[in-house]
Amino acid sequence: MKKVLSLTLALVMIFALCVSGTASASSQLAGTYDITVWVADAIVDLTKQQIDDFNATNTDGIVFNATVEPVGESDAATQMITDVEAGGDIFCFAQDQFARLVQAGALAKLGVKAAEIVREANDAGVVAAATAGDELYAYPLTSDNGYFMYYDKSVIPEEDVGSLEKLIADCEAAGKYFAMENETSAWYIASWFFGTGCVSEWETDSDGSFISIRDTFNSPNGLIAAKGMKKLLDSKYYLSSSDGAGFDSGCAVVVTGTWAYETIAGILGDNLGAAPLPSFEVDGQEYHMGSFNGCKLMGVKPQTDAVRAAALHKLAQYLTGEEGQMERFNAVKWGPANLADQANPDVQANVALAALFQQNQYSVPQGQIHGSWWDIAKVIGTDVKEAKDEAGLQAALDNYTAAISAVFNMSDDEKNAWSVIGSICGTNWDTDFPMEEVSEGNFQSEVLELKAGDELKCRQGASWDVNFPADNVVVEEDGNYIVKLVVIDGVGEVFLIAA
Amino acid sequence: MNRYSDLEFLRLSKRQKFLYKLTSFFASIPRAIANFFLAIGRFFKNVGVGIGKEFADLFLTFKNGDWKTKTSYLVMGFGSIARGQVLRGLLFLLMEVVFIFYMITAGGHWMSMLPSLGKVGPHEEYDEILDLYTTTYGDNSFKILLYGVLTIFFIIAFIYTWRLNVKQNKIAEEYLKAGKRLKSGKDDLRSLVDESFYKTLLALPLTGILVFTVMPIVFMILVAFTNYDGAHNGYTNALFSWQGLANFRTLLTWSGSGVNYSATFGEILTWTLIWAFFATFTNYFLGMFVAMMINKKGIRLKKLWRTVLVMTIAIPQFISLLYVSKMFAKNGIVNEVLLNLGWIKHAIDFWGSTAHGGLLPRVMVIGINIWIGIPYLMLIATGILMNIPADLYESSRIDGANAWQQYTKITLPYMLFITGPYLLTSFTSNMNNFNVIYLLTGGAPTNAAASGAAGSVGFTDLLITWLFKITTGAEAQYYLASVVGIMVFVVVAAITLVVYNVLPSIKNEEDFQ
Amino acid sequence: MNETLEKRSMGLRASRAISNTIIYILLVLISVIWLIPFVCIVLQSFRVESTHMARYIIPHEWGWDNYVKLWNSDFKRWYLNTFVIALVVAVLQTVIVLCMSYTLSRFRFKMRDGLMRFMLILGLFPGMLTMIILYRVLKDLGLTQANAVPGLILVYIASSGMGYYVSKGFFDTLPKSLDEAARVDGATRAQVLTKIILPLAKPIVIYTILTAFMGPWGDFVFAKYVSFGTSAGMNVAVGMYGWLQLDQIGQRYTMFCAGGVIVAIPVTILFMCLQKYYVEGVTGGAVKG
Repeated sequence: MKKVLSLTLALVMIFALCVSGTASASSQLAGTYDITVWVADAIVDLTKQQIDDFNATNTDGIVFNATVEPVGESDAATQMITDVEAGGDIFCFAQDQFARLVQAGALAKLGVKAAEIVREANDAGVVAAATAGDELYAYPLTSDNGYFMYYDKSVIPEEDVGSLEKLIADCEAAGKYFAMENETSAWYIASWFFGTGCVSEWETDSDGSFISIRDTFNSPNGLIAAKGMKKLLDSKYYLSSSDGAGFDSGCAVVVTGTWAYETIAGILGDNLGAAPLPSFEVDGQEYHMGSFNGCKLMGVKPQTDAVRAAALHKLAQYLTGEEGQMERFNAVKWGPANLADQANPDVQANVALAALFQQNQYSVPQGQIHGSWWDIAKVIGTDVKEAKDEAGLQAALDNYTAAISAVFNMSDDEKNAWSVIGSICGTNWDTDFPMEEVSEGNFQSEVLELKAGDELKCRQGASWDVNFPADNVVVEEDGNYIVKLVVIDGVGEVFLIAA
Repeated sequence: MNRYSDLEFLRLSKRQKFLYKLTSFFASIPRAIANFFLAIGRFFKNVGVGIGKEFADLFLTFKNGDWKTKTSYLVMGFGSIARGQVLRGLLFLLMEVVFIFYMITAGGHWMSMLPSLGKVGPHEEYDEILDLYTTTYGDNSFKILLYGVLTIFFIIAFIYTWRLNVKQNKIAEEYLKAGKRLKSGKDDLRSLVDESFYKTLLALPLTGILVFTVMPIVFMILVAFTNYDGAHNGYTNALFSWQGLANFRTLLTWSGSGVNYSATFGEILTWTLIWAFFATFTNYFLGMFVAMMINKKGIRLKKLWRTVLVMTIAIPQFISLLYVSKMFAKNGIVNEVLLNLGWIKHAIDFWGSTAHGGLLPRVMVIGINIWIGIPYLMLIATGILMNIPADLYESSRIDGANAWQQYTKITLPYMLFITGPYLLTSFTSNMNNFNVIYLLTGGAPTNAAASGAAGSVGFTDLLITWLFKITTGAEAQYYLASVVGIMVFVVVAAITLVVYNVLPSIKNEEDFQ
Repeated sequence: MNETLEKRSMGLRASRAISNTIIYILLVLISVIWLIPFVCIVLQSFRVESTHMARYIIPHEWGWDNYVKLWNSDFKRWYLNTFVIALVVAVLQTVIVLCMSYTLSRFRFKMRDGLMRFMLILGLFPGMLTMIILYRVLKDLGLTQANAVPGLILVYIASSGMGYYVSKGFFDTLPKSLDEAARVDGATRAQVLTKIILPLAKPIVIYTILTAFMGPWGDFVFAKYVSFGTSAGMNVAVGMYGWLQLDQIGQRYTMFCAGGVIVAIPVTILFMCLQKYYVEGVTGGAVKG
């Protein structure tokens, strides 16, 4: 008996050793973490459930003690930008906020392998939306942040939904409104321009700063778009709104997105119709209205503790994985970004998503757009509404171009100013240290603390058009230095002066 | 204009008297403006002279003082303690110890960082094993500026205390020389509830104002000289740094393509002034009118009418105004009713109409502001109206005055005289009336001519809502908001001070007591 | 002779009756206009058949659903937070305002005029700008997010000294001879305040309490900074304002109205009970505003 007992004991001990041995080898991440997660109100309960599931199933021994707060997507971005430190460890946002968040330093870059997984599993538009420079900064949450058309079947005959002119005529005849938010939102205004083949493409570097733009809104095609837009804006039954509840207040057509589905279904019931946006006709030619094909993303806040960061990334991966996205679709009908989920028959059968996917043939991936663009472009709506004739429409586009180019403009002082840049003072070729002109052609920086091996250059106007010297200056010894630049006849020499 | 002596003035007819008063009021405005600038000049002159005197006094006190006084220049409170004023002396000493301790442990660090606002930015590193990036943060420009300002406040407070400490010695020496008894700690404490009671009463409120109002304002003014914005938040992306007067130059002179800040500023300022004028005076007169109706003899249910109006105060504005804003939407209930009545053929776009420079939405916000303001004015006017001596009306009635004459001769002058300061404060608070505009229109409709890179500007935007848009807008340009804020402040302060100095009821402050 | 007098008085009576009728009509009209939004919000809060914003006023189906939903949401927490803030602020702000206004009304000291002018000017600086920095200060003190309640109280009362105008005006109307008589009898300044002035100042004390109590209920800008996405630290305004977001308003609008009704209850009750004092206080105060 004793023997048996001791044998069992020994076996149990060996087994225990093995188990604990493997556990400690597989995970240095084991532990309990207190975290804050910001998600939209609709998925708070679901997310809590998902985190509990993660705690139960993960093999690393990670336990999250999570506070899930209902913070809407647009709010989350604004809050994060106000104060990154106080923000949620994991948060969700709509893609138009992406560049601002990267710029604010509110998003942690994904690791190389993690990025690879995300790129493979999700649709290309979403991946592009989460990319700045060549790096991936966020996890895809949904791929349904686009707009299409809801209509009241009792007012609009099925055969008219494809034509803007017929839709307007039906609305006017019935004394009902055609709602599209053209006066307060550039997001919707862009629809007309994409329909005629115009583009507004912006490029960011890996800091989220914008470096170039290709914009053709002010073009013959842009003018056609403005004319189409004018048709709708001139109708007495046009309404600038994207509120789904409008169907209860005299609307027959509302251009909005999937988020309004429940509200509209509640009002219209069987009369709910959803369709891609219509075509409009200018000078005898048809143009199908385009749209932005946007998405929502999930970001992890930059962490100073590598282990905590690793655990958080694991959770974000889990929440935005194939299963996580499908759970969200089942619970709140959010359209998944995951390719496998998108092929799911349930997803394909959803009325609103079906309309969105149809509209996607004409849509433009939202990509990265400068934050100011939304303010600048939304003026087009008001300008077009006020325009009396074609010249007025053209003036609206000219205004727009002027405002856009101002975004990249710098004052002469800024263009001429010199600065030091390099792998110095904890920065990595991303921060300009200003230099002061002490006398004609002589520039000096403030005292900088430099380390041996640091490299630096001087450049003008915070761009690389003019920079000296040709090869980086390499610091030889730790110490406090003043960087001095002497420019004679367009040729500059850089000196380090110990201070 | 002619100036009349008192006797001449009395001989004038009523119309002439009124005209005279009116013209002399307006004639006094330029003088008040001039006085305002003279006063500023005097202020700086006085400060200069004052500082000179202080230094002279410091020197003389040291030269003529005994050894106790001289030691006090280094060890604060020493003289007081040595002369038996232990409580005062200990407080001085405590201040010195705390100051030195603070400067060594923290203050010195912040002061040394203040000129550069930090040198080391954040830094990112790749961890290959865990396959992720971690971030190391460097200096925090925001904190440096904040604690730098606080430290400067503390240094000023210390210098003031040190100066007080020296002065105490001088006074004590003079007292002792004259053979008078010095105040003991007990005397000091007693005085705090008696003749110096005001110090006790003001200590807490003023400390609060200093830390939570003055300090933030100083901070925000300093921000106008930096490049603090979304791209330079001072900690998590890039440090911000001093920019000199560049931001002011941008606002005042830069009219680069598409963005003309000075024109935008001028346009919004004009509307802000128009708005403040109408918002103040429509409320004022209509509120008074409603109060007079309710107060009229023979009108019953006075309490009911008042309560109905007051109910609107009880619901927070962010609820009631949002509802009202939806009521007037193009597909809202008001349009629906008007259409059903057949009064209009097509829905009116109350909030979206840009015709005549956004006239309709502008009139609408002023109109709805009446809805908000009248209850308050009604309450104020009710009380004042009840205070007007009834015999004034009685005697005027015997003289054959009708109701209109009674109003213009008795009620209105009385009200205007008494509520002059109230009108002034409500004018300035209307200039900064964020809630009404933000909740009703959010600044809409967009003003195409005035929009630019610093957030879109609408026809109903006031300077204060524009500020909000700038700080929460795409680029979060705090520095620009701060520059605009300073401009707003200068304009409002100038108006206020000039009017304040002209107002009769301020001049005659003592008359009421 | 008698006849003409009678006629005249009859004419007077008739004209008075006419003018009174006009006034009644106007008052009824005004009451209707002022009550419409209020009544609409109350009615919407009882709507059961749908939850979004609707154009019709009378609900098709009545019920307490929205109030039940409120009870099951974070609203309780927000309401409690706001109530605590309002209560504490009402007490402390009143103390501070009274200190400030009594001093400025009764004492003549060297810095008095300068101080008053300085505060007048300070109040003109747009407060919108200083919010970000106040938020940072509170954050360093650990008084944001979950601890937002004490943080908000601190900021509300700290600058409340600036709002002394109305109550200083009230103190100005109390005769100075009262103070002087008491001083002759040997009372200290402190005793004059507590024994003589305060009992007379009941209207202004109540006025100040009332206005201080009402303030915190509607703050949705600064309170949002301070609670910073933490539901436990929000006040009703911030919490409910969140329901107006694009993705929520369809499901939350009638709840929003119900919340508004609940918020209005304490303030309405207080106002109804204390209206008399409010009028007296503000009247005395506006005299010197």
